[in-house]
Amino acid sequence: MREITLSQAVNEALAEEMRRDPTVFIIGEDVAEAGTPFKVLSGLVEEFGTHRVVDTPIAEPGFTGIAVGAAMTGTRPVVDLMFGDFLFLIMDQLCNQAAKTHYMSGGKLNVPLVLRTNLGATRRSAAQHSQSLHALVAHIPGLKVALPSSAYEAKGLMKTAIRDNNPVVIFEDKLMYQEKAPVPEGEFLIPFGVANVLREGHDITLIGTSSMVQVCAKAADILAKDGISAEVIDPRTIVPLDEAALVKSAKKTSRVIVVDEGHQSFGVTSEIASRINEKAFYHLDAPALRMGAMDVPVPFSPALEDITVPTPEGVAEAARKLVRGEMIHAA
Amino acid sequence: MPLDVIMPALGMAQDTGLIVAWHKHPGEAVAVGDVLFEVETDKATMEVEAQGDGFLTGVAAEAGQEVPVGQVIAQISDSAEAPAPAPAPDAKPDAKPDAKPDAIPEGDTIIMPTLGMAQDSGLLVRWLKAPGDAVQADDPLFEVETDKSTVEVAAGQDGFLAATLADEGEDVPVGQIIAIISAEKPANPVTRSAAQGSVAPKVVEKPSQAPPRASVAKPEHPAPIAPGGRILASPKARRLALEQGLDLARLVAAGHAQPFHASDIDTLRAMPVASAQTTAAAPARRLTAEIAQDGFAAFADWAAQEAGISDSDALLAGLAAASLGQGDATINVQAFERDRLFVGDGTQATAQQVPEGQPDLVLRDLRFTAITALCLGPEDQPVLTLTRSGTGYAVTFECAADQMSAPRAIAVLSAFAGRMQQPLRHLL
Repeated sequence: MREITLSQAVNEALAEEMRRDPTVFIIGEDVAEAGTPFKVLSGLVEEFGTHRVVDTPIAEPGFTGIAVGAAMTGTRPVVDLMFGDFLFLIMDQLCNQAAKTHYMSGGKLNVPLVLRTNLGATRRSAAQHSQSLHALVAHIPGLKVALPSSAYEAKGLMKTAIRDNNPVVIFEDKLMYQEKAPVPEGEFLIPFGVANVLREGHDITLIGTSSMVQVCAKAADILAKDGISAEVIDPRTIVPLDEAALVKSAKKTSRVIVVDEGHQSFGVTSEIASRINEKAFYHLDAPALRMGAMDVPVPFSPALEDITVPTPEGVAEAARKLVRGEMIHAA
Repeated sequence: MPLDVIMPALGMAQDTGLIVAWHKHPGEAVAVGDVLFEVETDKATMEVEAQGDGFLTGVAAEAGQEVPVGQVIAQISDSAEAPAPAPAPDAKPDAKPDAKPDAIPEGDTIIMPTLGMAQDSGLLVRWLKAPGDAVQADDPLFEVETDKSTVEVAAGQDGFLAATLADEGEDVPVGQIIAIISAEKPANPVTRSAAQGSVAPKVVEKPSQAPPRASVAKPEHPAPIAPGGRILASPKARRLALEQGLDLARLVAAGHAQPFHASDIDTLRAMPVASAQTTAAAPARRLTAEIAQDGFAAFADWAAQEAGISDSDALLAGLAAASLGQGDATINVQAFERDRLFVGDGTQATAQQVPEGQPDLVLRDLRFTAITALCLGPEDQPVLTLTRSGTGYAVTFECAADQMSAPRAIAVLSAFAGRMQQPLRHLL
């Protein structure tokens, strides 16, 4: 099978959906000629023109608000938010308007909007351009949240997001744009709320999101050398969450580590670990462990930045402790 | 009254202690908290403090000597002289901090029993006898609540309840003396709370008295206690233990490190079922009888041919009902793929099958299985189990201590074994 980058996969998904549905359009900063700073959208403006690939001034609340209104009135906008950190600028448009319109209009209005943005540290972009804020929007009922973990996932989830009649926020890891993965030619969709078991195991379950899926897979390789069989699961979407698959795996292995790049406290790891504790309690042989990013602003110093996020070695070491039955008093 | 100084149990699995040095000389005055001697265990060297004021006398072990835990190695007396054998019990100003308001009567001591393996105290729910009451050995004396259950504890000996040394509702440390049973009716039975200070471990004993009973002796190896008295185990380990009827406390007693995980359940399952300690502590009775010759098979054949009784379960239930000797009795006969209820009055050879009822006894017929011995612990009803043994049978009788007294359990099992050996005698 051919291998393409995550960047190319997103580009393909958008192009295919824009060809398929004339109501789909892209709006954001530097999306047209520049093709975004990460060159994800290169070539789209040439095919679809500036009326469907719309460059805007630096005004996130403005263009997001325009997109929410456009979505209510029959189009399918794909909003490009250059950095996930800028979510704070569009909270009202996204959380108060887009998320609640279907509910508050008694179902008369839909907001089929996709917000494309990113997450991920270790790019030396400092504290205001390195955050992973997906837990923030996952907290708001009415928003769906997809976290692609590879080029294949990015394409399939993007196409599903565009066809969804509700607002979806997709977070791409900005460090993965140039990572290649096998992606089949032709159309495919990945349904929301269906977790992907990347690797089966029986000693411990490693649940990872976005780029942390690769961290978990590498940790599983390390653990395999120690004779520990790790199951690796990617929930793909955290809203909706495939709780049944996660609980089933937790019951099977009786030990769980949840790895996510958002801050550990009050985050995705906390939510998933908590659900496993509630639903699989009598099957757990160790506490379901959270491994998120440190609860600090992401440092600019490369040496410091690298230690704020979970690593394969760190996950493997925590897994060994759980399997050995050592009490873990993690911070 | 002199206060005994004993070799303390400092470790969880320690049976002796090495006296490193004495810090007081014989005859020297000591006060509460003074360091008396130093003990070395396999773990550490510790200083042992005096528990009372007085003079160190009767030093019976020297530095360098290895002494069993619990052994008296000295006394703290009221004078520097060798202790008087029978000091005046009262009417004398007592300098001890736990001064007694009144004298403790003579008699056998009853202690707070160890009912669980990880139990450090028991809640005295209520006294079932009043001070001064006459008690029989089998009479329930008091009720104790542990974190697991509430248990009635029998007096263990005949006599009179001369003193109660703990109040209802008090949490009393395991091993503490909570009652005295005297041979003579006490003139002034004593009532006191445990909080008023524990009695010295050795109350005056009658010279003619038999060696201390096992139930009275302080346990040599107190069960190791988890912090807070709770066993630390994963939810999965707890569930597996529950599903398999295993007691995590046995792992604690065997010294396995906590917290326990699912893998420890495998260890627990492989452990021998009953250690000496659990047998002593568990409120259960288990008796076995061997029947060398199988008289029952011939009897069953005879009954089928001569009396037209082909249901051997009914015959077994009849024998069991007769052995109970209480008139009408409901017997639950359980065997492979059978579970039936019978009522018999002991006068007929067979019992009548009934659709429902509350069984007085379960008769488990395992003669046709490969099982030869078992120890299942007490169930809701007393259980008689028949297993094959050589050319005859073994009969195991199990019940909870509160379901049947020891003499009655012996009588029932003897009667049943006798009837199984010579069933025809049952008819006569």
